[in-house]
Amino acid sequence: MKIRYVVKQILIAGILTLSLAVNASVFADEDEEGERHERHEKHEKGGRHKGAGRVAIAENAIYKSECSSCHFLYPPEFLPKRSWEALMKGSDRHFGENLALDEKTGKEILSYLIESPAERGSSEWAGKILKSIGSATPLRITEVPYILKEHRKIKPDVFKRKSIGSFSNCGACHTGAAQGDFEEDSVSIPKQ
Amino acid sequence: MRQKIYFVSVLAFAVLLLNGNIADAGNLNAPMQSLMGKYLKDSGEKSFSAEEGKKLFFLKRMHSEKKEEISCTSCHTDDTAKGGRTPVGKPIDPLSPAVNKERFTDPEKVEKWFKRNCTGVLERECTPKEKGDFVTYMMSLK
Repeated sequence: MKIRYVVKQILIAGILTLSLAVNASVFADEDEEGERHERHEKHEKGGRHKGAGRVAIAENAIYKSECSSCHFLYPPEFLPKRSWEALMKGSDRHFGENLALDEKTGKEILSYLIESPAERGSSEWAGKILKSIGSATPLRITEVPYILKEHRKIKPDVFKRKSIGSFSNCGACHTGAAQGDFEEDSVSIPKQ
Repeated sequence: MRQKIYFVSVLAFAVLLLNGNIADAGNLNAPMQSLMGKYLKDSGEKSFSAEEGKKLFFLKRMHSEKKEEISCTSCHTDDTAKGGRTPVGKPIDPLSPAVNKERFTDPEKVEKWFKRNCTGVLERECTPKEKGDFVTYMMSLK
């Protein structure tokens, strides 16, 4: 009789512990869900396509500190996984520059970039970019057919304007680019 | 081991300071002085030359891959007190420590950018002498 009672107590304690653990994980999921939701709301502001943009750029400190001194922080979903892999593999020959990244830094940047490449991009653009690329492995975002097509009406001279500099300088005209907003409505082309 | 290297660097630099061989070395912080000490030791030179550093900064050469004449000034411009522009058009803060106090204060950053930019311009890494001369020139700017 006594043994039975003890076993029962242990069983109850076990069930209680299990249910607590399950609860905790459910709450954790909800937290992540909440965060994701918040992020989406940010992009939707003023945007035509719901959830088209994505705040990918400022999320990774190392990507920012290593890459943004030289160029615009391209959203990971603007290139497919294989392109990011090829780019990071050749980081010592990055369009004529040696990025001088140590192994750990290079790995961290790559793992961030391939967390959500074009294949897993949340925006409408990611899908269009991917489709336009086909089976190619572009190394330059400025050579992605879809992106070229979207800019076809802009004369080459415009990109040479002092405050723009080059076609790579997305943020010069896409005023919301730093927040992941590449909507046409947010474009403002500097006159000089 | 690391401490020993540090000690040697500091010692080398102290000797250097006493000799008065680095112009405006006093403006460099301790970690940078230690880096300069290392450059000096590794170069086997007795002192660095701001004049040589200036030559390096303005040196123009044909880049074999980019097929164009390139120089530090291609991005940083001839006037270090003013900002420059990266090859893709992003602004660069002034290089001169006289106007940009953050310059040449962090050895890790200095080393990283030497590695990046020496390869970008010279298609090789810079020698310890070149780095020392370069920093000396930059610190001599008013």
